[in-house]
Amino acid sequence: MADTINRSGRKGFLVDTSKCIGCRSCQVACKQWNKLEADKTANMGSTENPRDLTPALYNRIRFIEKESSGQTVWQFLNQRCMHCGDAGCIKVCPSPGALYRTKEGSVVFNKEKCIACKYCVSACPFNIPRYDSNDKVAKCHLCYDRIAAGMSPACAKACPTQALQFGNRNDLIAKATAAKKKLYGVDDLLGLGVVYALEGPPEQYGLPAKPEIPTSIFLWKDVIKPLGILGFWGSIGAVLLHYVTVGPQRTEETEDKGGSHE
Amino acid sequence: MSNYIERFSTRQRVLHWIVTASFFTLVLSGVGLFSRLFNGYFNFFGGGQNAILIHKIAGPIFFLSSAYMYLDHRAEISSFDSNDMEWFRKAGGYLSREPHHFHIGRYNPGQKMFALFIAVATLVLGITGLFIWVPTAFPRWIVQISLMLHGLMFVGSIMFMVLHVYLATIGNPGTVQGMLYGDVRKDWARHHHPRWYRERTGGK
Ligand code: HEM
Ligand code: SF4
Ligand code: SF4
Ligand code: SF4
Repeated sequence: MADTINRSGRKGFLVDTSKCIGCRSCQVACKQWNKLEADKTANMGSTENPRDLTPALYNRIRFIEKESSGQTVWQFLNQRCMHCGDAGCIKVCPSPGALYRTKEGSVVFNKEKCIACKYCVSACPFNIPRYDSNDKVAKCHLCYDRIAAGMSPACAKACPTQALQFGNRNDLIAKATAAKKKLYGVDDLLGLGVVYALEGPPEQYGLPAKPEIPTSIFLWKDVIKPLGILGFWGSIGAVLLHYVTVGPQRTEETEDKGGSHE
Repeated sequence: MSNYIERFSTRQRVLHWIVTASFFTLVLSGVGLFSRLFNGYFNFFGGGQNAILIHKIAGPIFFLSSAYMYLDHRAEISSFDSNDMEWFRKAGGYLSREPHHFHIGRYNPGQKMFALFIAVATLVLGITGLFIWVPTAFPRWIVQISLMLHGLMFVGSIMFMVLHVYLATIGNPGTVQGMLYGDVRKDWARHHHPRWYRERTGGK
């Protein structure tokens, strides 16, 4: 719908997984800036903590344990909203302004406008949106408030290794391509606002190899909806046309022929 | 001798109008969820969140009353005979002004198809509605398919409803009276449902 992207001015992240040391400064910085309360965590026998995004955790580090020539190696992935160019969440959201795109290309939410239908959770190819205790949407908003004020996102600022780089999306991609990085998300879904430089296949990081808006969501919004609206007005039209052409079935005429037709 | 014959009992009429009232409440509160284009309909309910609340109240009422209506008339709507096939072949005589004679019983096959569709739609809308109600309690693919089917069945029912309301009112004068007051004119019954009329009156 009115969800279009200005490609040249688009801002975004480049997440270079090779530089990430799993310090989770980004997690903490996001909580601080957005004043999100702490999540109750439990020791699950893993360094990964918390184990999933929550309504108070907009980004987190996913720990991937890998055996490599007898040694355990760690890989880290910063998981968050991808700010998709073709965003399933915006596509299904029935409340204008609850999820919208900024002029920088970020996908931002407004809890005041959210009507708690939770459609966005089903439509997101990455299973990102979460719900707070009032059933309102919560996810990374790419620090739209900081960006608008000319600052960089809190998580990127806190990152000690430049694993999280924020800037003009085209420039970031050009630099990473020149450095021969393997990029994820350059063209998927009209380009993700968060592009990853990965050191292995996406599946290894828990990312879908080819992210797509779920088929049934596509059928609902792009096939059933337009055809349904057409069908509704078509049936109104057909009925009116019938009324003025063939006309109603009057029953008086049966009396002329008298009695039952059995 | 009366010119009228009873078609629907008070219980059947009240039931039909409960189904109808809850149906249109669901349509009005749900259409804004179907697409942002219809966001304005939320205003009837004072915003989207209230509309969802009303939808969740009207939903179970529709499901239960419509399921009951199906159980109530399932014997009359679920069997088709050769007369019905003849009716289908001639599109019920609705495509021309030529006089026609079908040996139709209580319901014509178009009505049966409509009633069967409503029964199926009630079931599908009810089940998928439950998944959409608490999406985080179910696997994502189930909720995704439910959203699609809920929309599909909504579109189907609303299109059938246009036909139903037309045929039950101005398309067939004399019909709606049966659902309003309970009885219909005898010449209406002889014309539209001759076999039913004969059974009711004992061959007169
Ligand atoms: C303003 C709206 C409506 C009007 C004026 C209306 C009118 C009628 C009438 C007059 C009949 C009796 C037909 C006969 O005597 O043979 C009827 C039957 C029936 N109605 Fe409705 N109705 C309405 C809405 C609905 C809705 C919303 C539903 C279900 C969702 C529904 C389901 C049925 C069914 C299943 C029957 C019995 C089978 C049939 O006639 O097809 N109606 N309706
Ligand atoms: S990742 Fe999900 S929540 Fe984020 S923009 Fe894409 S569809 Fe929306
Ligand atoms: S839960 Fe809120 S943000 Fe998500 S689709 Fe519904 S109204 Fe939009
Ligand atoms: S961009 Fe802002 S909201 Fe998003 S994860 Fe980083 S700090 Fe949190």
